[in-house]
Amino acid sequence: MAAAPKVQLDPSFSDIDRSVLGVMSTPGLAYWTWIAFCFTLVGIAGAMWARQIYSGLGVTGLRQPVMWAIYITNFVFWVGIAHSGTLISAILFLFRTKWRTAVYRAAETMTIFAVATAGLFPLIHLGRVWFFYWLLPYPNERYLQPDFRSPLVWDAFAVSTYLTTSALFWTMGLIPDIANAREAAVGWRKKIFTVLAMGWQGTDRQWRHYSMVYLLMAGLATPLVLSVHSVVSWDFAMAINPGWHSTIFAPYFVAGAIFSGVAMVMTLLIPMRKLLGIEDLLTPWHFDNLAKVVLLTSLVVSYAYITEAFMTWYAGDPIEQMTFHMRYFGPWGWMYWVMVLCNCVIPLLLFSPRIRVNMVMLWVITIFVNIGMWFERFVIIAGSLTANFEPSQWASYRPSITEIMITVGSFAWFIGLFSLFVKFLPIVSMTELKEGIVWLRKALKKGYSTAA
Amino acid sequence: MSTIAIISAFADDTDCAHAIHALRDAQIRDLNTFAPIPSHRIEHALGRSRSPTRWFSLTGGISGVLTGLAVTIGTTYEWRLNAGGKPLVSWPPFIIICFELMVLLGGIFGFTAFFLFSGLPATVAASGYDRRFGEDRFGLVVRCDEADAARIESILKESNAEAVVREEDTPR
Repeated sequence: MAAAPKVQLDPSFSDIDRSVLGVMSTPGLAYWTWIAFCFTLVGIAGAMWARQIYSGLGVTGLRQPVMWAIYITNFVFWVGIAHSGTLISAILFLFRTKWRTAVYRAAETMTIFAVATAGLFPLIHLGRVWFFYWLLPYPNERYLQPDFRSPLVWDAFAVSTYLTTSALFWTMGLIPDIANAREAAVGWRKKIFTVLAMGWQGTDRQWRHYSMVYLLMAGLATPLVLSVHSVVSWDFAMAINPGWHSTIFAPYFVAGAIFSGVAMVMTLLIPMRKLLGIEDLLTPWHFDNLAKVVLLTSLVVSYAYITEAFMTWYAGDPIEQMTFHMRYFGPWGWMYWVMVLCNCVIPLLLFSPRIRVNMVMLWVITIFVNIGMWFERFVIIAGSLTANFEPSQWASYRPSITEIMITVGSFAWFIGLFSLFVKFLPIVSMTELKEGIVWLRKALKKGYSTAA
Repeated sequence: MSTIAIISAFADDTDCAHAIHALRDAQIRDLNTFAPIPSHRIEHALGRSRSPTRWFSLTGGISGVLTGLAVTIGTTYEWRLNAGGKPLVSWPPFIIICFELMVLLGGIFGFTAFFLFSGLPATVAASGYDRRFGEDRFGLVVRCDEADAARIESILKESNAEAVVREEDTPR
């Protein structure tokens, strides 16, 4: 027999505050062990990077012609993961989507940490990291300016704008909630929250300007979501390399980014709602809707894979056709088919309404999506480089332990930061949940049991 | 005649907005509210003008586009790189930089305007603030002469105010 829902079906504003602020209770030993584990992996990755800086990029598996591989795969993967946050917080805000209220803070937080993780990879990939500022519009010591016709410069602008705008948007949303936490906190937490709340009291004057700026920021962030991954895709599409030189890359990458980002939100939130005891706030109704977004974007991504193959066949360019033949049936063909299985086949299970509210099944499916999307980036980036115009240049690529440990470290860094956030700041927006309380009540009464 | 503040609490924004309408109909204008959520009902009842922050965002956005044009065209002339015989100022790719800077500066200007107009950071609590107003109650503060107090309290109670308290007014 299913366990009875542990919460009442008619939460009040105070119930919401209690549930959200209850998550921020003093963490125990298990929590700190987990944090220590994550940051130990980060430390190992940091040591590997230090070794790479000292010895040079020779310690990686990067060799001509495969000079972009796991590092750039990770960059594209993490920028993609970041997309769900702004999609949920900005685009769905403008559409007045009701189910976003409970999940948007977690998604937005994930965005910040994912972009911060992504931003490390172009730096890690630089042999001489101390010259990173050459991407900025600032002449270097030889008085050379960056070339604004280069997609890499566009990328520096797009990613840094995305990080800044997302951080401002996230900070604005946090202020009323931190003020709320300030009232309930004691001791050192109260002092910190008092500083962070900056004197917010929810006056009509404050809410009037807040609402206007929040709306405008959502309006600015909406085209930004679509632009950032388009710009990332142009890092490849602007090159003439076979496998990259494609006009569909921008929408294809944006759809993939939303697909992987929403899947990652679910991968994190499903265990979190259980561990933190917030099943009453993050209900299967929310996951049902997130799963529909995953299903839709999976279909778009599948369509893009088919279109890409069709265009290659129809254009009749033998080199492009050879690259795709290698992609499907070459030495790394298995990666392509893993990607198809994870991104196109397994998500079809989400057509079943029962699976969309089954938390275990959803968790497993979203993990497959994450794996599939990482492989997609690797297949496009490193796979396309192995077979160039000149067969004499063809070569394979094998990642070194440095690249593998830095990749593992990036996951640990992302999950570690997210775990820290969960315990020290409100992971669910109390303000927006209170605004959407009518909808939460309806969802709970509709038969979406919290114990699903 | 001394000035006082009458602080009332409401369970929802509908009652609070109703009280504001009734007070404004009675020619009482010095009203302020506290709320746990943004409420359009209260905002409309108070009849405040639209937030001027939008003009800051617009200014930021326009500045971003102009900065983008200045940076891209300026550096192109500073470092004259002939790429494939294309015109020196090949503007289509510059749109990307202009767009990104428009969003960046539009966001930063709007964010800054929010702090400026909202009076943040604030070091002193506004008169009448109570922690319940961040949690689950809507607060309405009316500043008035003592002579009007009884009439105002009556209007508030008729609008379902849960608690009505008089306090000495403190300067804002």
